[in-house]
Amino acid sequence: MASLSLRNIKKAYGNNAPVIEGLNLEVGKGEFVVFVGPSGCGKSTLLRMIAGLEDITGGDLLIEGERANELHPSERGIAMVFQSYALYPHMTVGENMGFALRLSGMDKRAIKEAVGRAAEVLRITHLLDRKPAALSGGQRQRVAIGRAIVRQPKVFLFDEPLSNLDASLRVQMRIELARLHRELGTTMVYVTHDQVEAMTLGDRIAVFNAGKLEQVGPPIQLYREPRSTFVAGFLGSPKMNFLDVETAGAVAGNLQLKLGGNQSLDFGRTPVGTLPSQLTLGIRPEHVRVVPAAAGLQARVDMVENLGDTQLVHTALAGSEASFSIRMAPDAISPRVGDVVGIHIDSANALLFDRTGRALELA
Amino acid sequence: MESVLSPAASSTAPRRRKRFQSWKWAPYIFISPFVIIFAIFGAFPLIFSATLSFAQWDPAAGFGAIKWIQLDNYKFVLTDRWFWKSLGNTVYIALASGLPQHLVAIPFAAFLSTLLRGRNIVLGAYFLPFITSSVAISLIFSSLFSKDFGAINAILMSLHDHLPLIGQLLPDHKVDWLQNTEMVKPTVSFVVFWRYVGWNTVLYLAAMQTIPEDLYEAATLDGASITRQFWHITLPMIRPMMFFAVSLTLINNLQLFEEPFILLGDNGGTGQAAMTTAMYMYRTAFYFSDFGTACAISWVMFVIIAVLSYGNNRLFKLAGGED
Repeated sequence: MASLSLRNIKKAYGNNAPVIEGLNLEVGKGEFVVFVGPSGCGKSTLLRMIAGLEDITGGDLLIEGERANELHPSERGIAMVFQSYALYPHMTVGENMGFALRLSGMDKRAIKEAVGRAAEVLRITHLLDRKPAALSGGQRQRVAIGRAIVRQPKVFLFDEPLSNLDASLRVQMRIELARLHRELGTTMVYVTHDQVEAMTLGDRIAVFNAGKLEQVGPPIQLYREPRSTFVAGFLGSPKMNFLDVETAGAVAGNLQLKLGGNQSLDFGRTPVGTLPSQLTLGIRPEHVRVVPAAAGLQARVDMVENLGDTQLVHTALAGSEASFSIRMAPDAISPRVGDVVGIHIDSANALLFDRTGRALELA
Repeated sequence: MESVLSPAASSTAPRRRKRFQSWKWAPYIFISPFVIIFAIFGAFPLIFSATLSFAQWDPAAGFGAIKWIQLDNYKFVLTDRWFWKSLGNTVYIALASGLPQHLVAIPFAAFLSTLLRGRNIVLGAYFLPFITSSVAISLIFSSLFSKDFGAINAILMSLHDHLPLIGQLLPDHKVDWLQNTEMVKPTVSFVVFWRYVGWNTVLYLAAMQTIPEDLYEAATLDGASITRQFWHITLPMIRPMMFFAVSLTLINNLQLFEEPFILLGDNGGTGQAAMTTAMYMYRTAFYFSDFGTACAISWVMFVIIAVLSYGNNRLFKLAGGED
């Protein structure tokens, strides 16, 4: 039985066009699912609908098989960690964590024990008597998670919980969250717009775009086999390179592509089914190599970024204005800005999309 | 040549030294309007009244008539039964009008904060008395509370006749709100309450609007009902504003003057039932021309207000768990 089922979920405000429509998703017991997408895509709204903080306009929400559309948020068996942490500033850490239990009428000793256990898991026992104002960002985050743990929910909901932390703390907390999920084994739904968090934390990623679910699947599957240019472009940094190409026929399963600037490319494979005349070629920066100018597609180097562990070369292909990125090894001899270089595209790792952005199945 | 030049040179040197250096004086000139106004209307009366509280002085006789009498004014004030009566009246009205102001304003502000539409209109209506002239307010209430022709007596008697059950609890005769010694203080208290409840509502609403929405959402998830959210989130979060608003009420109510003065005249109504300490101080100064005693009253009031404000401060800190 799924821990969380979203069936034909719809959300509309008043008579306006729906912000979420016809959304279906099953989250398995103990699974860690990450909702990603750009701002305004509806991922946080969906999370708030699961929490009960937003009404569900249509469809069914099932938590452990039980319809929860009309259940009060506190009766859904969920706990939520907010982006701002939402800690009660006038209560101590211990009081914050035990607030839900106190409201449920649990006796003080049991509350103290439950809070103590959660504090141990999160290593914040020494902070229990402090007020939130006396805590660092990372400590507040731990308390917010602790407040959720204490309630022993069926499903944890996280709404961009790490976005207020600095970069190094974010990495640390990411590792902590992964550890926590391993130890607790509870179902977790996590909203973020940070693709690194999505790739590293999720058992599965659900990519949202304009209120619709673009694709759901394990991170590496979404990275390697995106079903659309949106998913392909959203995951990966720098993003996948896209080139508008025209088909120039296929010979013995080898598709010939025409690029701008009278350049052509031997793609090596062909799409299954009918072959559209205009396509978009997608290739990740790590699947492109710099070769001598005469040995590949010609491009002009616009910028070279050395990140220490890698080098990013940003180029403009001849006949194209779009930026084309190449990832190079840190110790490779990088071209200089202004150089005209050759580019070799590793067709085995390239993808083809039709002009609506849908990925084509390749033979 | 030298003899012509040398006197000229010697005369320009000191002149250059004496030249007005505006950049040095500019800061003082810019702050001088405040300093001058504060010195005349703030610091001087403060110091003069403190000095005068140790003296006997008839202003008509000029400054030369000031006679130092050490603590006699204070001794007189502290043993004067009219001072204590006025203080009793002041405390009565301060509590009777002050407590309901906050007890009504806080839940009312909480209600307004949930309103999506019409909030500003309702708030404006409640705030209006605060910015209306106290003379206009008092004149209208004099008319409303009039024994024979007042709307309040007419309504109460009509309710007594027509409202089942609780109608019998209402008076069956015309109440003399502004003459009856028992009714004067509650009447004045009501007018003061009515005037300031909107002001306090605005203060509390402003405080409530700064409470992050996600605290309420977190509390909802924790299982807190609306009442418990009010109790556990709203009230603790507006505590600093409560301290501010209660302090203002305390200070304003203990200096209450305008409303009873205009409603009841300078003697505070029948039997001086609503003569506040501020009114008594006014009478002492301007009717009995005893400025020394009036100044002593004002300083005694200052000490009382300071002590109560400090107590209020401690009380709020203790109630909220001192950080």
